[in-house]
Amino acid sequence: MKILRGAHVIDPAQGIDRVVDVAIADGKIHSIGEALQGAEVIDLSGSYLSPGWIDIHVHVYGTLGFADPDSIGIYQGVTSVIDAGGPGIDTLDEFAALTDGRTITRLYVGPYCMRPIGLISLNFIEGDTPRTLTHIPIVKWLDYMAAEGDRLRYLKIGAYGGFGVGAMRMAKGLAETVGRPLYIHIGEQQLQPGTDDANEVFRIAGAGDIITHIFHGNKYGVLDNDGRILPEVWDAARRGVLFDVGFGGYNFSWSVAEKVMAQGLVPQIISSDLQQFNVLGPVYSLAHVMGACMRLGMTVRDVVERVTSNPARALALDDRAGALKPGMPADITVFDVEPGEFQVQDTSGRSRATNSRLLPRMAFKDGKLIRCDMERCQDERNWLIQIAENEPPAAMARLSDVQRRFLGRLAETLARIEWTTADLEPKFNLPKALVLHDAFRGVVAQSGIPLKDALTGFFDCFLNHPFTMQAGVFLIRVPRRMVLERLQAASQSALVEQ
Amino acid sequence: MSVVEGEWQRIDGVDASTARFPVRTKCGTEGIVIFRTGDGYFGVQQACPHQGGSMTNAVLQGNGSMIRCTRHNYVFRTANGNPVNCPGFRLKIFEVREVEGRLQVRPAA
Repeated sequence: MKILRGAHVIDPAQGIDRVVDVAIADGKIHSIGEALQGAEVIDLSGSYLSPGWIDIHVHVYGTLGFADPDSIGIYQGVTSVIDAGGPGIDTLDEFAALTDGRTITRLYVGPYCMRPIGLISLNFIEGDTPRTLTHIPIVKWLDYMAAEGDRLRYLKIGAYGGFGVGAMRMAKGLAETVGRPLYIHIGEQQLQPGTDDANEVFRIAGAGDIITHIFHGNKYGVLDNDGRILPEVWDAARRGVLFDVGFGGYNFSWSVAEKVMAQGLVPQIISSDLQQFNVLGPVYSLAHVMGACMRLGMTVRDVVERVTSNPARALALDDRAGALKPGMPADITVFDVEPGEFQVQDTSGRSRATNSRLLPRMAFKDGKLIRCDMERCQDERNWLIQIAENEPPAAMARLSDVQRRFLGRLAETLARIEWTTADLEPKFNLPKALVLHDAFRGVVAQSGIPLKDALTGFFDCFLNHPFTMQAGVFLIRVPRRMVLERLQAASQSALVEQ
Repeated sequence: MSVVEGEWQRIDGVDASTARFPVRTKCGTEGIVIFRTGDGYFGVQQACPHQGGSMTNAVLQGNGSMIRCTRHNYVFRTANGNPVNCPGFRLKIFEVREVEGRLQVRPAA
């Protein structure tokens, strides 16, 4: 038994907010009490200890994501994360194949319910084509829920799309059908096509649905032109709709946040929206976002509640996360409140001074201790997809014969498809990416190769630091000639070896 | 007057020996940020093609092969301005040379 001694324990689910010991054994919370005894004692005097933090809005999968998802999870004191819209119904299996067993952090998913292969890259340059709307295979969603439903915690939808409010209503219907909340993005509307009906989401959302980016300062926010909270927003709050911070790269305005808080609308959940386009600032970490919320008047207990018990309850994870109840997994975050003079920037570059910041020190996942490293995520190899252009990655020499045969068949199939990197400009050519994606999946099916082996073998031909992303979306970024040459080289090596 | 393709144009008001790089300047009507590298200089358009973030805050990485706008982490190749992680956006790149202590600029080929 391991005793975590002397920390100030904040566990809002159980009403604990005092210095007390926590005992863990066999990867679970054993007990909470005074002067507990055990074989190993870790002195945490002067630090805070809370249930493991939950970040319900991160991007680990797809081109927004990271090579090392733990770098924004457990290494920043976050023990559970939800990928917000990375995969769609057609790539949930790829998401699992690429992430299962790869992270210490518990990784859940909130797939994009209107985009078959999920968020593509920078969603505002994807262009919205009807193909993103017509592909709603309800039976496939229900089959997924029956087989893998525990992994899926919400369905994500953006409050825009160029096709009116019908898409949002369909998303709400699908969420009701699969029995999960709808997670609604209302941010960066200036970058999106078809936003005129965006505020209709405040009427479509129901009790338990979650609206993220509540403090964004772009068009179609929660305030009217005079800075008052819109009546439909108050109505949504009264119906039981939940609000989430979702800081992100575009969607946190000090001015909006201060006005919203002053009028008494307080988000129940704090999330980061960490992705490769904001990890070097202004987001940095969930702890940083929690610090920003303390500047808005929240206490340490308030911010802890909004990353533990509140998100756990909202996503029906409260049987396994968000509290320190005996028997629950020992997911724990230990952090300091460090005094000092700091500046916190919003997404428009405006700053506010703070006199403290939150500094995660260590985290426990199922009882396993990880010391935090807040800068680990900033390594360029973690966030920048670096295609090995000059020579094949070392991993390409270690492919199995099954992988080599698969890559040879893939080369033959792709040789019959034309694409150029011009398909990325001026808008992402989604239909072409889907053609490439279907081709990849067709060869996987013909070959009978496990999806994980197919994906890792494929990426090992091009990347030194594999990304967790959609095969078709990757293909469209790589010059066609290079793709064919690499894949042929891989398959010819197989012939030599045989 | 904007920068004319192929012709070197003098940058006024920047003394290469005393300027603190990266330096923001203008050539005609075109805003340019000039960076000093190990063996010379290069220039980029002043405003990031994504959201107009100032490239004076940009950071060189990958041994100077890439330049990153710090506003949203958009990364471009310094050789040709091609996007690394942001398909659909291209940064204008300028060749810069020093002649008798004065800088001259022209669009990269």
